[in-house]
Amino acid sequence: MSRPQQDKTSEERDRRVLELWERVVEVEQRLIPTGLHVFGRAAGERECVDLLRAVASFDRPECGARSLNDLVSEGLGLGSYERLLQDKSEQGWRTRARVDEVVRASVEMFVHQDATDACRLLESTANVDAAESLKVFELLAKIKHQLKTSGELDGFARALRGEYVEPGPGADIVQNPDVLPTGRNTHAVNPYAVPSRSAYERAGRVVETLLERHRAEHGRQPRSMALVLWGLDNIKTQGEGVAQALRLLGVRPVRDSLNRVTEVEPVSLQELGRARVDVVMTVSGIFRDLFGATMLLLDKAVRCVAELEEPDELNPVRANVRARVAEGDCTFDEAQLRVFSNAPGSYGTNVNFMVMDSQWESPEALGDLFVTRKCFAYGRNSQGRALEGREARGALARALSTVEAAYQNVDSFEIGITDVDHYFEYLGGVSKAVERHARARPAVYLSDALSRDARVRTLPEMVRLETRAKTLNPKWYEGMLGHGFRGVAEIESHVTNTFGWSATADAVDGWVYTEVARTYVLDEEMLERLSTLNPHSARSLVGRLLEAEGRGFWEAEAGVVERLREAFSELEDRIEGVA
Amino acid sequence: MKVTALIVGSSLLGPLRRAEEEINRRHAAGLSVCAYNLGAPLEEAEWESVGRDLSESKVVFVIHVTDGENATRLMRLLREKGEGGRTVVVINCMPELMRQTRMGSLSFGAKGEGERGEGRARRLLKSVGSWMGEQARARRKGGSHNQYLKLVERMPALLRFVPNAGRLRDLKRYLQLFCYFLQPTPQNVTSMLLYALKHYGGDPRLSNVRVPQPESVPAVGVYHPDAANIFGSSEAYRRWHDARARKGGTQTLEPSKTVGLLLMRTNVVSGTRRHYDALVRAVEREGLAALPVISTFMDNRDACTQFFAEEGKARVSQIVSLTGFSFVGGPAMNDSEAAVEFLKGLNVPLRSAVSLDVQTIEAWRDSHTGLNPVQAGMQVAIPEIDGATEPFVYGGMPAEGVEPAALEERCTRIARRLRRWNRLQTEERRALKVALVLFCFPPNKGNIGTAADLDVFPSLREILSKLRADGYDVEVPADADALRERVLGGNSESFGAVANVAYRMNVEEYLRLCPYAADVEKEWGAAPGRINTFGRDLLIQGVRLGNAFVAVQPTFGYEGDPMRLLMSRGGAPHHGFAALYTYLEKVFEADAVVHVGTHGSLEFMPGKQVGLSGECWPDRLIGELPHVYLYSVNNPSEGSIARRRSYAGLVSYLTPPVEDAGLYRELASLKELLSAYRQSSDARERERLYSAIEEKAGAVHL
Repeated sequence: MSRPQQDKTSEERDRRVLELWERVVEVEQRLIPTGLHVFGRAAGERECVDLLRAVASFDRPECGARSLNDLVSEGLGLGSYERLLQDKSEQGWRTRARVDEVVRASVEMFVHQDATDACRLLESTANVDAAESLKVFELLAKIKHQLKTSGELDGFARALRGEYVEPGPGADIVQNPDVLPTGRNTHAVNPYAVPSRSAYERAGRVVETLLERHRAEHGRQPRSMALVLWGLDNIKTQGEGVAQALRLLGVRPVRDSLNRVTEVEPVSLQELGRARVDVVMTVSGIFRDLFGATMLLLDKAVRCVAELEEPDELNPVRANVRARVAEGDCTFDEAQLRVFSNAPGSYGTNVNFMVMDSQWESPEALGDLFVTRKCFAYGRNSQGRALEGREARGALARALSTVEAAYQNVDSFEIGITDVDHYFEYLGGVSKAVERHARARPAVYLSDALSRDARVRTLPEMVRLETRAKTLNPKWYEGMLGHGFRGVAEIESHVTNTFGWSATADAVDGWVYTEVARTYVLDEEMLERLSTLNPHSARSLVGRLLEAEGRGFWEAEAGVVERLREAFSELEDRIEGVA
Repeated sequence: MKVTALIVGSSLLGPLRRAEEEINRRHAAGLSVCAYNLGAPLEEAEWESVGRDLSESKVVFVIHVTDGENATRLMRLLREKGEGGRTVVVINCMPELMRQTRMGSLSFGAKGEGERGEGRARRLLKSVGSWMGEQARARRKGGSHNQYLKLVERMPALLRFVPNAGRLRDLKRYLQLFCYFLQPTPQNVTSMLLYALKHYGGDPRLSNVRVPQPESVPAVGVYHPDAANIFGSSEAYRRWHDARARKGGTQTLEPSKTVGLLLMRTNVVSGTRRHYDALVRAVEREGLAALPVISTFMDNRDACTQFFAEEGKARVSQIVSLTGFSFVGGPAMNDSEAAVEFLKGLNVPLRSAVSLDVQTIEAWRDSHTGLNPVQAGMQVAIPEIDGATEPFVYGGMPAEGVEPAALEERCTRIARRLRRWNRLQTEERRALKVALVLFCFPPNKGNIGTAADLDVFPSLREILSKLRADGYDVEVPADADALRERVLGGNSESFGAVANVAYRMNVEEYLRLCPYAADVEKEWGAAPGRINTFGRDLLIQGVRLGNAFVAVQPTFGYEGDPMRLLMSRGGAPHHGFAALYTYLEKVFEADAVVHVGTHGSLEFMPGKQVGLSGECWPDRLIGELPHVYLYSVNNPSEGSIARRRSYAGLVSYLTPPVEDAGLYRELASLKELLSAYRQSSDARERERLYSAIEEKAGAVHL
């Protein structure tokens, strides 16, 4: 909250207005799913201008197309779009709006008329060479065409007849338009190709932004961080998460003559220009399975940094390892363990199950469960023997005890931090575990590269953004409710996943619950819709709000709690009456 | 006298041991061959032993080493050990290793000039030396493959033109060794050792032996364990095979009933092929015909065109690749675009089975991980990009033994699944039964049809309609709501179940039909337990729609069971879970299982990570049933687990429509106020707007 306006100078007010502007635009321009897919149905007539605009905003070197936003920005003589995005001044916002407007108009023209007209428009309004813009529209035309048909039922029928089903990559359309057509046998990636050169490049920028963000708020960069690594984003980005871990440590991947990443080498402190960061990697069981070679590489990276003779303040990995050995409670080998996952053959933290099934009393239980499930060490010991998931509870607890910040990548529009239970079970789980072992709550960050305006956000910022862009947004929930029964279950699941962030990281403002209650329960008409379409999920939603209140995540006004209780028992009656 | 052989894979150890024996028997040479498999990173203790053997060896062979870490380590070791008059023969390795070759005056770097014929000889050496490196670069040219075939056939002839003495002497000897390597028959491997020892061993007992010229085996052909020879053409094989089939009353080479197998040439040539033999026999036992062809490991297209197709039509209905590499490209690269183009044309599914060539059977059996990272990457992840499915382990190197052995139980499982898939390909559709499995998470009626991005009931109805249109005998409810009612409603309330109960499996039946029930009891106590039960019966939830059965998959069973939730590793699925899949296979007698949407629990059940055994739970649960999984295209990671651990073929579906979130209610009016403020130049108005802005911002908690 800001100070009363009387105290503010006009400059302060202008600044505040621009900050609010940024927040509002951030919500407004966030891509969100506005419904569900039905297998076999073409996207056809559904609105695709925003999607195509997002596709066009990125460079597509694979088809020789450059970002429309850059083409327009340069055509207008405004320099690179990337630089425009950095400029948060009044002038910057105006310039950016000018570029965005031209881009939007051209994509709309493309969708409603054709590529030629769109190219002509760009040529006349922004001096964009038609040869350049045509490449973009050719890509968009291909996507638009592919969205008009669906090969899914045919792919299904072929699979069931025992025919060859063509393989295809997995991602969302904006990340990789080659996922179209669907109806194919999705594959992962060659683990030895990870991280790719471009992933390592991109990771450099994200890591510097992340450290900068932490410095701005804490005065210095973190000495140790906990990273959550998943298969999902690392497949789609060819290992950007892996590359981030390497960058934090200050090492680079080395390729052998067959172009496989099998070694690492340290980046000198001089070249790095900052201290290294110690990283504890809590890795999903899926990443562990899909990236076995990468697990070894990450372990090797830590061991290589631990052996560098550098000052403690610049090499916290070495400092932490030596401190632990000096404390006498573990060997040098043991003190270097940083790559942890589930026991072999097991998956998940179960923190999500515990939260959803309300099977916890003290919040510590969630952090302890995370450690129980994730304390299996991977990599190789100094004798070159594979650890293969040796139980190492003490090692994980010790490694977490120095952590100051936790971090994870978000990888798609459809799977945001409140869309699935996995983000809170991992990132929330690890932050709860750090809280327990480091005796201080870590700063928690997420980054996404879903739009050109990619940035690192704190967890509470991300929860607010997701809440505003999705949970409370009529465009989102009406889209879901268009799917009736399943839509109500989706809404309930968002509320429960939001609740998961309270449980694990205390990262949800009270107003979020107030607004959820106002939108879905206190609005009689809405409650009636939910109850008719899917009384079971409606009951769960109301129950979850009551639980949030009961656990003190939210101080509801007395009347509100009363109304929630009433609604809950009405729903119970209704469900039993239905029976 | 000691020779150290640093090799990769399963084809060379057997012939090397035989060679050692043979040379000692004939020449009393006191030879000992120390062999190491450098396919996967070695442990320190093993490196120490490699180091010791290297120091004591007169001749060292390094063959097929492509693992970057091992190569680096080996080069360091060779440097440390110094020259020491040792001869080092490096064949078919990555370029930096090739340059470690030490044979008299031979150098891989020198230019070809001077003496007559030297240019050509050096070019030959260069092409042999840079072979592996070329492969890594030669994307999409197919050049290295043709080069390989050319070498196999023409090398001995070319070699005749290289002089035996003078500056090229060592070069010629290297190429001679290379000729033996290209045709690693037991006799040639013996000759290769003998030849190296004769010229570089420094042992008078061997300096005058006569070493035979390389014997030659056709580059491609059809192999069968019961035939005396390799068949050069499919016609020759067909004559032999079908005569035998008619006599034995087994399946002839009917294309719809024939399984094409792609075998590694080196294993066939070197006679290390018991694992192939077992799989071929298992396939035949299931009433299918086998067409096992020798493939080079670089590019399978030639072998497929020559043997698996006739005038553009497939002569096989399934292909099982046993090469362990990508379909086009071999060990150094993968050209999946070319592979897909080719396989689409043939329209025959590709399965890729794994031989444990760089880890032992025992190591695999004892490992919770299953395949080591090298094998998981090379033999599973890369073939998947070509569209290969069902990554079963079928054999490999035993810890004590010199050649690969078969895993009979796995071979049978593969063969039975091939037969089941064949039934889907050939049986009349109206006779086929399809199980469509839905999820429900967390378990509560409201969540039936859980799936990321997917509206399941309308999707399911689309699928049923498609099945009916394609001739399957399934019932299609009037609309998605009616379908949902059938699943959720029915008798569910009377059993306190989330969905309609389609079948009650009593304990006796369950124990009789479920082969692993005893192992479930170890974890969950005596059947039926508390989950999905009614009295002594296990409840199978779902609804029968003609020859389709729509089932609801139970969850892990953590609900209300904090003890189990707190366990660091899973033990087994519960009885209710096991009962569903037992029901589908044994009672409903499904021909295929389709999981509808991203994702359920079967593929996350305990067991090895990849390269499962018959004791792993996902393997037991899916059993012999062909498995199709409808999966969000946005989730390649969990989808890959389904492919590897439950042998699913995925069919991707689109993500939902996306749009800009836009603004609503107070957020929209806040933006208008902000706009007005930014546009206004009037101080009074800006002040008024500002206070409205703060009020609005407060209302939306900004």
